[in-house]
Amino acid sequence: MSFAAAASQVSTRTLSNGMQVIVWPDHNIPSVVLYNWVHVGSRNEGSGTTGLAHFFEHMMFNGTARRAQGEFDRLLEASGGSNNAFTSQDVTVYQDWFPRSSLELVLELESDRLANLAFVPAVVEKEREVVYSERRLRVEDSNPAFLEEQVQASAFVAHPYRIPTIGWPADIKSWTLTDLQNFYHTWYAPNNCTLVLVGDVEPEQAFALAEKYYGPIGRGPAAQPVRTTEPEQQGERRLTVERNGQNPLLMLAYHAVSADDARAPALNLLQTILTGGDASRLHRSLVEEKKLAVEVGSGWSEGFDPNLYLISATLPEGGSVAQFETALTGELAKVVKDGVTAAELARAKNQQAVQFWRGVSTLDGKARLIGEFAVLHGNYRKLFAAPAAYEAVTAEQVLAVGRDVFKPQQRTVGILQPRAGAKH
Amino acid sequence: MTRGMLMLAAGLLATLPAMAATPGDAHVNVVVPAHQNLVLPNGLKLILMPRPDLPLVAFNLVLRGGARLDPEGREGTAALTADLLTYGAGSRDAYEWADTVEGAGGNLDAGAQGEAILVRGQFLARDGNLMLQLLADAVLRPHFAADDFEKLRDRRIEELKAIKDSSPEALLGNYGRALLFGTHAYARAVGGSEASLARITHDDVSHLYASEFGADRATLVIAGDFVPAQMQETVAAAFGGWRRAPQALPPLAEPQRIKGRRVLLVDAPGAAQSYFWLGNVGVPRRYPQRAALQISNTAFGGRFGSMLNQELRIKAGLTYSASSVFTRGTVPGDFAISSFTQTDNTAKAIELALATLAHLRHDGLDGATLASARAYLLGQYPLAFETSAHWAAALGDLDLYDLPDSYIGEFGTALTEIDAAAVSAVIASAYPDADNLAIVIIGDAAKVRAAVAKLGPVTEMPLSAADFRP
Repeated sequence: MSFAAAASQVSTRTLSNGMQVIVWPDHNIPSVVLYNWVHVGSRNEGSGTTGLAHFFEHMMFNGTARRAQGEFDRLLEASGGSNNAFTSQDVTVYQDWFPRSSLELVLELESDRLANLAFVPAVVEKEREVVYSERRLRVEDSNPAFLEEQVQASAFVAHPYRIPTIGWPADIKSWTLTDLQNFYHTWYAPNNCTLVLVGDVEPEQAFALAEKYYGPIGRGPAAQPVRTTEPEQQGERRLTVERNGQNPLLMLAYHAVSADDARAPALNLLQTILTGGDASRLHRSLVEEKKLAVEVGSGWSEGFDPNLYLISATLPEGGSVAQFETALTGELAKVVKDGVTAAELARAKNQQAVQFWRGVSTLDGKARLIGEFAVLHGNYRKLFAAPAAYEAVTAEQVLAVGRDVFKPQQRTVGILQPRAGAKH
Repeated sequence: MTRGMLMLAAGLLATLPAMAATPGDAHVNVVVPAHQNLVLPNGLKLILMPRPDLPLVAFNLVLRGGARLDPEGREGTAALTADLLTYGAGSRDAYEWADTVEGAGGNLDAGAQGEAILVRGQFLARDGNLMLQLLADAVLRPHFAADDFEKLRDRRIEELKAIKDSSPEALLGNYGRALLFGTHAYARAVGGSEASLARITHDDVSHLYASEFGADRATLVIAGDFVPAQMQETVAAAFGGWRRAPQALPPLAEPQRIKGRRVLLVDAPGAAQSYFWLGNVGVPRRYPQRAALQISNTAFGGRFGSMLNQELRIKAGLTYSASSVFTRGTVPGDFAISSFTQTDNTAKAIELALATLAHLRHDGLDGATLASARAYLLGQYPLAFETSAHWAAALGDLDLYDLPDSYIGEFGTALTEIDAAAVSAVIASAYPDADNLAIVIIGDAAKVRAAVAKLGPVTEMPLSAADFRP
């Protein structure tokens, strides 16, 4: 079956309370994967409550009016299921992987926590410590993540993409129960969710169970849009961080586009051309030939609003950041001046094509991809049109998006210098 | 940001509704798809598993040997040798190689493990011939260019430093196994250390290739969209001329458990948390009570609701994650508990982990926990066997450790047959006593030194040191 034809396997229904349900049957293994995409992320937070979306990702496992803390995991695991969740700037996503026989239990558990979450002060305090531990792991004991947090906060002056998803330390320490309750009642409502079920399940069976368990939950208030747009940056910003460590780091952040932007496929192909693999331009030039960096990577977060295109590099101990930066910006200037070659574009398209096939080779990959397209790109059907859309991108379009994004006056340069004499 | 690290490490994955399962129920088992096992005249083993559902073909070439053959003090030799296989081979230099592989949208990666070098990849089905040609070049005709060798070795050294700056917890096992296994091959860091990499010469790589590569050391698994008869012919043409290895693989000694405690404090000045690892010698891959072992470890430290995560994270709020894992090789590898906590709570969290281990050994698992762990394994196991790449990896792994297909195909049945007595016996024998452990702590020594002294005799070294042992 062709990629485009696979769209016919998918069924979708919107419940009367506004919840969208997407079902993609796949009977390869006797398992089901559920992704519940809640349309809230750190972009919906404000001063003093940063990190709340992520904190909910944790609180949603900590008990409801009907079930004590730990029951969710206990019941799910005892029926063969596992779960996790992740939070981004745009969304909070709850994931379950389970045998088909547990479908009804999972929907009951998921709907219960969407409707009846408990707020027990002692539980909140413990989870606050857990989240702070996660922050120490991911940000405070990681030089690259620490630098990225600073770059993000500098590149945006107005738009809430400046907020770190894990939250600022002072906010993690000080959220109140009222903050939590307000957040929950604002964002955790069926009309603000996209429920994806992939695997050994039939659409009618899934819709009937979704209706049974989610149907009785009332519609919530209409989500408030993020009104702030980032004003145009009119000049390079530059910041330096000094930390214990061995390797200098450099990060360039350019203002890019949103997920549903028509230029997104071209930008993804450009990303593959620049840093996707050993044959990519920046890797070959800066790591292999000039040996100025140990590693160089890039990417952008496809979100509701235009986010950053980040290029990050790890330099060898004692390496010159200035020399590396000159070489890197020189490579970007070449892209903006001359564009990319036909061979580079063909390679990127082939890499992208394989990536789509590999993406849909697991239930989990299917749930992730179809949810991303449904939520962030506005329609799940765009997933099935995506390979053709990528195939149609021209070298001119890649050049154009390169010119739109890699503007020196719209970049933020972040440098992490290891503190003199203070190795770990 | 995620809620929990995925704790579905190798060996902890799992089928069907366990509650309904009865011993001998075929539905609890993962069905191993039909495949052919062949041996070429030069000793190369070939496993072909056609799965025409997606237009992809995956392969996994397992070359027995790996990091355990690294010369003493030159740890990382096998890993560097593996890296260089894809840095120019046959008629292509390193750049032409990358252009060809990635130009086809394929991937072809070589890396070392403790007991093997693996070359794995996946291509579009239409490029199956190209894939085999590239693989044969990589394994039979690598260039090992001297300048590429130096460039790659220097980069690997810098990457180790960068890991210390970004995720020191990723190195716990390297420090832990060096402390635990002493002079045994399992003590060696597969990727090497900054110091050992610096000692490796181009000759070391050439020597390892000349003495340890050969068709009779290798198994090639191909899974995906292809015609078996054609594939068999192509493989015979591409690999038929591969010579046998000049020598047999030496046996691995049986590592011994350590008695008492030894503590290594790795100083990371300014670290916000302490990362710790508690281990001793566990059990081998061919451990006969594997089903009971996995049930017990799922319950103890192999899932979100495990005893360790319950105690350290859910009840005490001391950490984001606590887990345990058995690394099982031809001979017993390590059993290790790992977690992390805010600097001030270092000793408290380690003591709680030790108490949880003592609790497991003293009280075992109750019936409900055993049933739940079994159901969990049964429910999660099929998710490890979805794709051709999964099967290529799994069949290669079975072959490396000389395990039958029933290791996968009858695991469900084995799980259903486990009772409380079997689990108790495994807990008593496979898990170390809390008094006999190698303990590694990566943290701010000035702040934790006094508190961890009570755990046992402490040796200190800086995180920036170029080796994984003092």
